[in-house]
Amino acid sequence: MSVFKVGVLSCSGEECLGGTISRLATRKVLEELKVVETVTLCLPLYLAGGKEERNFAKVFPTISVDGCDKLCAKRSTEKYSGKISGFIDVSKIIGSENALNTTIVRNKDLTDEHLQMVDKVAGEIVKMIGSISSDSFSEKSFRGCSCGNE
Amino acid sequence: MDKKVKVVPCSGIGKVYGLMAREAVLKTVLELCPEKSETVCLAYIVTGDKEVKERIEGFDCITVDGCPKMCAAKNVSIAGGIVIEEIKILDTVKEHQGKTFGSPTLLNADGEAVISEIATKIAKKINEIN
Repeated sequence: MSVFKVGVLSCSGEECLGGTISRLATRKVLEELKVVETVTLCLPLYLAGGKEERNFAKVFPTISVDGCDKLCAKRSTEKYSGKISGFIDVSKIIGSENALNTTIVRNKDLTDEHLQMVDKVAGEIVKMIGSISSDSFSEKSFRGCSCGNE
Repeated sequence: MDKKVKVVPCSGIGKVYGLMAREAVLKTVLELCPEKSETVCLAYIVTGDKEVKERIEGFDCITVDGCPKMCAAKNVSIAGGIVIEEIKILDTVKEHQGKTFGSPTLLNADGEAVISEIATKIAKKINEIN
């Protein structure tokens, strides 16, 4: 049986809460909310890695998940890898004031309210995956990076 | 001019080591050395935007990587940062054989202890130069 896959790429920004939420929501979709098989890639591998990493968005229909309106994951994916199928701006979901919070960034400091934000963003990722035409799902495999997974 | 040392982790999303890099850096810049250090989003550095290059170019940087691809070190160098120390999470992890550290989503108690150890090393380096 073929396994169809969709790529989800998070900015994982270190400077503000939005980056932490983008990372955790992406992990939640990968681990728990599998509507289809999902794969991810560490974003900085576009420059640090090789051709395979840069082909990521050409191989998989890809959704970017950004913590703020700089949309770094979206722009870098489109610049180095190819057209994306959709993008999520976490700050539009949890509000800019929350997304740009620079004091609560570490996982250990997150409250139940922050974890609800993670759930909300993960739900939006799943919705977006559902809106991708199944014709564009990829059956290809991906070796991934040393730190990434398939 | 902002003299804060830029401390940049890979934040790799696939394995626990990426999270350890991220949490060690955040502990350093938010808790141990907030006056002398700061982080810069690696994803922002990857964009190559002029604004982020200006924050990195010519500044002392410490990178923290979770895997041998060395994404943080390479991207900071490409952006013009002066990488004064490349920290590899795996070097410290090797000293804790037999332990598990959690998942790419959440560190366990051993993971927290090891990132504290790494953050202390980073803070020591920052205090030496600044």
